[in-house]
Amino acid sequence: MMALLRHPWLTVRTQFVLGAVFVLAAIPKILDPPGFAKAIWNYQLFPGWSLHPAALTLPWLELLCGLALCLGLWTRAATAWLTLLLLAFVAALSLNLARHHPVDCGCFQTQASAKVKSEAERLSDMRWVILRDLALLALAAQILIATRPSRSLTT
Amino acid sequence: MLKSPHPLLKAQPLMPLPTSFPARFLALPALALGCALVANAFARQDRTLTWTGWVPPTAREAPALVTAHPEPGPTDPGPSTPGPANPGPGLPSHPRPLPTAGAQAPKPALASAPPALDAAARFPRSPSAVQREISSADAWDAYRLQVPFLDARRTAEFLEGHVQGAWSVPVWEAGPEARLTEFEARVNPQPQAPLVLYCGGGGCEDSHLLAAKLVALGYRNLLIYRDGYPDWTAQGRPTQRGARP
Repeated sequence: MMALLRHPWLTVRTQFVLGAVFVLAAIPKILDPPGFAKAIWNYQLFPGWSLHPAALTLPWLELLCGLALCLGLWTRAATAWLTLLLLAFVAALSLNLARHHPVDCGCFQTQASAKVKSEAERLSDMRWVILRDLALLALAAQILIATRPSRSLTT
Repeated sequence: MLKSPHPLLKAQPLMPLPTSFPARFLALPALALGCALVANAFARQDRTLTWTGWVPPTAREAPALVTAHPEPGPTDPGPSTPGPANPGPGLPSHPRPLPTAGAQAPKPALASAPPALDAAARFPRSPSAVQREISSADAWDAYRLQVPFLDARRTAEFLEGHVQGAWSVPVWEAGPEARLTEFEARVNPQPQAPLVLYCGGGGCEDSHLLAAKLVALGYRNLLIYRDGYPDWTAQGRPTQRGARP
């Protein structure tokens, strides 16, 4: 099982998929930092002073990590950052879900959807987004396992 | 026979590239910060943010809102349901000048009678709340009484259409202070005079955020048009496209 998880064929494809997802997610945010700042603010979890720096920097971090994965550079460091980001996204969505505060994910677009949704629909969307992020976390875990330095090199 | 590699391929990097995991882990956010600094410096103004500019309040910090229930004034004949077709007694049907370009005038016939009521009398400052929500009918009354409208939505949305004569003060973009300064220079609003703020209606909070900012600047009679621009267009009221002249 571990040999299968560490197989280069699988790892290369996983890296590309995870990297591409983050590149695609980063571009709209880079093009519209004010919209992303508003999306972060909607979560009502972060102090006001952190909104603008986060909205400006996080998309670039996503883009660089995504590109690094697609190109096979600095794979382990990039995957570690994406894992942390995914954990943060899941935590932020779960907290708002727990307090029944519907938020637009802001994952792949910075503007709220034009379609007016009910609160129940928006909460349901949040559950699906959490599931999607967990699936991406599984991809990241596979890369971290596959790129783990062998014991003989670390000792 | 092998050719020698291109000189660029033999060039050494300006600084040693990180090779260890911790160095790469720290280098990635540093690179992201550098990219963000450069991108923000060269982006269009409506796509930029100030790094340490205005900090929007959280919902918990925002002042409490009081829904306006304006008392009928001495010259106000009482509750009415004004609109483009029924402007209501005591109010001009449309005192504002018609737009010259890019405007979509309402279908009803427009007159230009002077206001019979004063805006300050129709919307007196509430001693208990410096900002309050107003209904669609109140917003129409305020419009006909020449109360300035401030649009808190994004610049792109403002350009697509806005309340005729409104001022764009997008709270989520860099430079709302400069826009407010221009507004104050041209309109010279008094702190006690009413100002109508609106955004996209529904769950939109931008007008409330703008209100918090204006309260900090000393304004004390802010009317938040609860249903916002979608309601304004649904009622067939005067709108305008493009930037202010």
